[in-house]
Amino acid sequence: MTEQELREIKADKVVDARGTSCPGPLLAAKRSIADVPVGGIMEVLSSDPGTNRDIPLWAKKMGYEYLGTLEEPGYWRIFVKKTK
Amino acid sequence: MAKKFVLAIVSSGAEKLTAGGIILSGAVAQDMECKVFLLLGGAYGFRKDFAEGHREVGDANLKTEEFLEGIKRANVPHWLEFYKKAKEMGNVKFYLCGTAGKIWKSAEKDDFYLVDQVCGIGEYITSAEEADLSVII
Repeated sequence: MTEQELREIKADKVVDARGTSCPGPLLAAKRSIADVPVGGIMEVLSSDPGTNRDIPLWAKKMGYEYLGTLEEPGYWRIFVKKTK
Repeated sequence: MAKKFVLAIVSSGAEKLTAGGIILSGAVAQDMECKVFLLLGGAYGFRKDFAEGHREVGDANLKTEEFLEGIKRANVPHWLEFYKKAKEMGNVKFYLCGTAGKIWKSAEKDDFYLVDQVCGIGEYITSAEEADLSVII
């Protein structure tokens, strides 16, 4: 997705894991995806650089769709679509 | 069918217990079926009269003070919290080596945090053999 498309996303669930280190954001994502309806989108806010690679890999492994990442000052917004 | 992960903890050093907890968390995040075996030093680390206050590193080349400052700066929780959360969130079972239990305290699982079952080494070997991923730390 383009940056513009990512910025226009209204996530069904926003998970604020900023301030936690790995594996905090990953576990927060795993816990929170249960609250997202199939077809819905979860947005993970993370200030942990390792999470930028972790969440896309996790999403692929779990059969979800990684949509992309936006970089903001001091943190990242990572978008995952629950596809099943 | 879920993939199987086996973690054998043989060290009581806080840095290794922390690493083991982080690895276990990764396995739980991927919905793996996890078994944690507490062997010798690992069993000592999980003693109920020891674990919560235990923050000393085990590797002689590391400094406990530096480790504690680092985990505080990085907002990393005490190592025991990783294991508690993993058990709460995933399919995780803890096994205490009966010999290790007797060496350090008793072969009673209730003397150790999170332990579901006391086991012999045969159970560990069988589990490690059947696992998709096996880690010793």
